[in-house]
Amino acid sequence: MGLLLCLPTIGWSVAQEPQAQPSTLTNSPFEPANPKVETLDEIMLKISGMTGDIVWKASKGEILGSGNEITYIAPGKPDKEIITVTDATGKVATLTFEVGGFLELHLKDILFLFIVGFIGGLVSGFIGSGGAFVLTPAMMSMGVPAIMAVASNMCHKFPKALVGSIKRAKYGQVDLKLGLIMGISAEAGVLYGASIQTQIKEAFGDVGSNLYVSFVFVVVLAIVGGYVLRDAIKIYKQSDSVGAKEHEITKLARWVQSVNIPGTMMYFPSLGTKISVLFTIPLGFATGMLAATIAVGGFIGVPAMMYVLGAPGLMASATELVIAFVMGMGGTIKYALDGFVDIRLAMVILAGSLFGVQLGAIGTTYVKDFMVKMVMGVIMILVLFSRGLKVPVYLSEMGEIEPLSETTISILNYTSFGMLIFALATGAIIILYALIKGYMKHAKEEALAEEFSIAQATTDEEVETFPASAIQLSPTGRLKNVLLVSDKSEASRGAESEAIKLVQRTDGRLSAMSVLMINPEHESLARQLIEAEDNSSIAHLETVQKSAEKAGVNCDINIRHGIEIYQEILEEAERKQIDVIVMGRRGYTGLKRLMMGSNTAKVIGHAQCNILVVPKFAKIEGKRILVAVDGSRYGDIAANAAVKMAKYLHAPILLVSVVQSELKEKRHIETVEIIKRVESFIKQEGVVVEAQILSGRPAMSIIEIAENKGVDLIVVGSHGRTGLDRILMGSVSDRIIGYAQCAILVAKA
Amino acid sequence: MGTKTGAMIQTVSLGLLSAILYFLLYYFNETILDWSKQGGWYFIVPISIAFIFSLVHGTFTGHFWDLLGVKAKSVKKRG
Repeated sequence: MGLLLCLPTIGWSVAQEPQAQPSTLTNSPFEPANPKVETLDEIMLKISGMTGDIVWKASKGEILGSGNEITYIAPGKPDKEIITVTDATGKVATLTFEVGGFLELHLKDILFLFIVGFIGGLVSGFIGSGGAFVLTPAMMSMGVPAIMAVASNMCHKFPKALVGSIKRAKYGQVDLKLGLIMGISAEAGVLYGASIQTQIKEAFGDVGSNLYVSFVFVVVLAIVGGYVLRDAIKIYKQSDSVGAKEHEITKLARWVQSVNIPGTMMYFPSLGTKISVLFTIPLGFATGMLAATIAVGGFIGVPAMMYVLGAPGLMASATELVIAFVMGMGGTIKYALDGFVDIRLAMVILAGSLFGVQLGAIGTTYVKDFMVKMVMGVIMILVLFSRGLKVPVYLSEMGEIEPLSETTISILNYTSFGMLIFALATGAIIILYALIKGYMKHAKEEALAEEFSIAQATTDEEVETFPASAIQLSPTGRLKNVLLVSDKSEASRGAESEAIKLVQRTDGRLSAMSVLMINPEHESLARQLIEAEDNSSIAHLETVQKSAEKAGVNCDINIRHGIEIYQEILEEAERKQIDVIVMGRRGYTGLKRLMMGSNTAKVIGHAQCNILVVPKFAKIEGKRILVAVDGSRYGDIAANAAVKMAKYLHAPILLVSVVQSELKEKRHIETVEIIKRVESFIKQEGVVVEAQILSGRPAMSIIEIAENKGVDLIVVGSHGRTGLDRILMGSVSDRIIGYAQCAILVAKA
Repeated sequence: MGTKTGAMIQTVSLGLLSAILYFLLYYFNETILDWSKQGGWYFIVPISIAFIFSLVHGTFTGHFWDLLGVKAKSVKKRG
C-alpha cells in the first residue's frame, strides 16, 4: 500500500533538440523504466541507445557519476522529477517520475511548522474554528503533498477532540445522539472524500491532488470568509447594542423542525424536538467530505447544527467535538492505512498549536466580538488569495493551460507563500496586541481594586477592638473577612447561607467567588465556553449577592479562571487578606476521595487562613461548639478560634481530647493536663465549657460525640500536611471533614 | 511547600515529560516513518503517538500559561 506514495505518473519521452535529426524510439532507453523513488533514495539509472559523451541533468535531485550508468539521489521533498539525458549527437531522452515518501525535515522546517502551529492554534483558539485553513496550506507551501498535509492535520486534531468532548459531556453540553448520528454520516463522507483524494492522486499525481485541495480551499474560504467579514462589519455598526445574544432559531431551522417524515423522525436533546434524520445525514456527509478534503469539517458542521437544525451555539460546538473525533479518527485511520500520515509534521504542529489554542482562548476574554470575527475574515481572505495564486501553477504543471515561464511560476510561488506568512503575521499581531492591551488594562484595574480592598481592610482593623485576653494564646481568631467559594452546585448551598450568617454576626465583609476551569484542548469550543460558563456563574453569584443584601450584608462577587481550582482560591484569599474561607463539601469518601482529590482538602492543606467547611444541610445555630485539642500549638489555635465563634454565637463549648485506646494508661495524665490548660483559658474568656477525654480512633470518636451531644460546629486545628505526606499519614481533620454531618472550622490562623 | 512551588514542579515535570516524548520521536523518527509508510495495521503507530502526545503536551501547555499568570479575564462586581 505504501508504495502508492511513489510514482503514480511515471513516464518517459524522448525529444529532439531542434537542430538534431529526429529519431524514434519505441521502448524506453532507461532502466528501470518506471523507477519507484522516495525522498533521499539513491538508485542506479542506466540508459541505452545513446552515442558518444552523455550529459545527465535532474530537475530536482542529484546525479552522481557519468556515462551510461549513473547514481541518482532523490530530493528531500516529494515532487515531480524530470531527468534529461543528452548525447553527443544532440539526441535527448527524458524520464519523468514522481518522488514519493516523506518530506526531509530540517531545523528551519521544524521551527517554521512550530511557529505556524502556534499561530494556527492562536487563531483557532481566538476565532473558535479550526486552524486547518492555515495549517494545511502552510504544510503545502513547505512542499508537503496535499494528501499528506490533510492527513497529518487530521491526525493532530482528533485526540484533542476526544479529550474536549469527554470534558464537555460532564457539563451536559454534548448531544451524544446527534453527535454520533452526524459522526457516522460524516465518517461516510470522510471515506468518500478520502477515496476521491486517493483517486485524484493516482490519476493526476500530487499536482492534481494539490490543485483539487487548493480549489476547494478557495471556494470555501471565499464563501465563509466573506460571510464572516460581513457579519463583523454588521456587529461593528451596531456596536451600541452588542451584548450576549440570546439563542434564536432561524426560519430554516423552524421549517426543518416542522417537517414530519414518518419512519425517519428522531428526538435530539439539544434541539428539544424530533427531526427527520434525512436532514442530519446529508449535513454529516458534507461535513465529512470537507474534512477529508481540506481538514476543516467544522466549517460546515457547527453552522449547520445551529442554523439548519436549530441547536444552541454552545451545544452545537460541543457536539461538533464528537463528530470531529469520530470522523477525524476514521479519516486518520483511512489515510494511515495507505501510509499517508506524517506523524512528525502532525506532532510538531501539535506542539505549537496547543500553546496557541490556550493563549487564543484567553485572548477572546479581553476583546469585543466584532474583533474576533474581523480577524477571522481577514485571515481567511488572505489565505484564499495565497491558495488562489497557486492554481495557475498547478494547472500549468498538469498541462491544462499554456505552460507558464519559470519566472512566472517562481513569482507566483513566492507571492503565495508571502501572502500566507502575511496572513499569519496579521492574525498573530492583532490577537497578541489585543491580548496584551486588554491584559494590561485589566491588571491596572485589578491593582486599583486591590488597593481599595487593602485600604478598607485597614480601616476595619482600626475600628475593631480585640478582646485583650485573646492575644494570650496566640495572635489569632479574626473571622471578619470572609471568602465564600461557590461552584453553583447543591453542595455549596449550606456554605452560601452560613457565610452570609457569619458575616452578619461578625459584622465583617463578604466576598463570593467561583472558579472556572479553563483548559480548552479543542479550539472550536474555547470562546463560547468561557462566555457561557462566565454568564451562568455570574448569574449564580448574583443570586448569592442578592440574598446577602437582603440579610444586610454587602458582597463582592468575582469569577476567576484557572487550571487548579484550589490555587485560584488561595490566591484570591491572599490578595484580599481573607480570615476565613467558607466552602461546601462534595461528599466523596474513601477511595473516590483519594483518587479524585478534593479541592476542599487541597485548600485546607495549603491555606494560611481558617477554613469553614459546610456540608449541604448543615446549619450553625449556636447549640454547641466542639473543639478538639491534642496539646500541640494547632490545638491552641483551634481553641482560640472556638472561643471567638462561641462569643459570636453565644454557644457553650465542648472541649475534647482523644487518647488512642492502646496508649490510654500512658497518655492519660498528659491529656488531663492539656485539657485543664485549655479549659481554664476558655473559662477565663467567659465561655461556658464542658471538658471530656475520649478514647478510641480520634476522628470517629469526635464525630460520634458531636452527633450525640447535638454539636453544630466542630473546630479542629490542622497540621497542614500536603501531598504524599497527607495521603500516607492521613489527617484527623480530613476524616472529620469527610464524615461529619455538621459544619467544621479548620483553624489555621 | 507553597502552592506556587507545587504548581511550578508540576508544570516543569509535565514539560520535561513532553520534551522527552519529542526527543524520542526525533531519535526514532526513521523507524517510526518506516512503520507509518507500510500502512495496514501499522496505522496504530501514528494514532497512538497522536493520543499520547496530545494528552501530555495539552496538560503541560495549560499549566504553562497559568503559571505565567496569563489567564482569562476575571469578572468582578462590587456589592
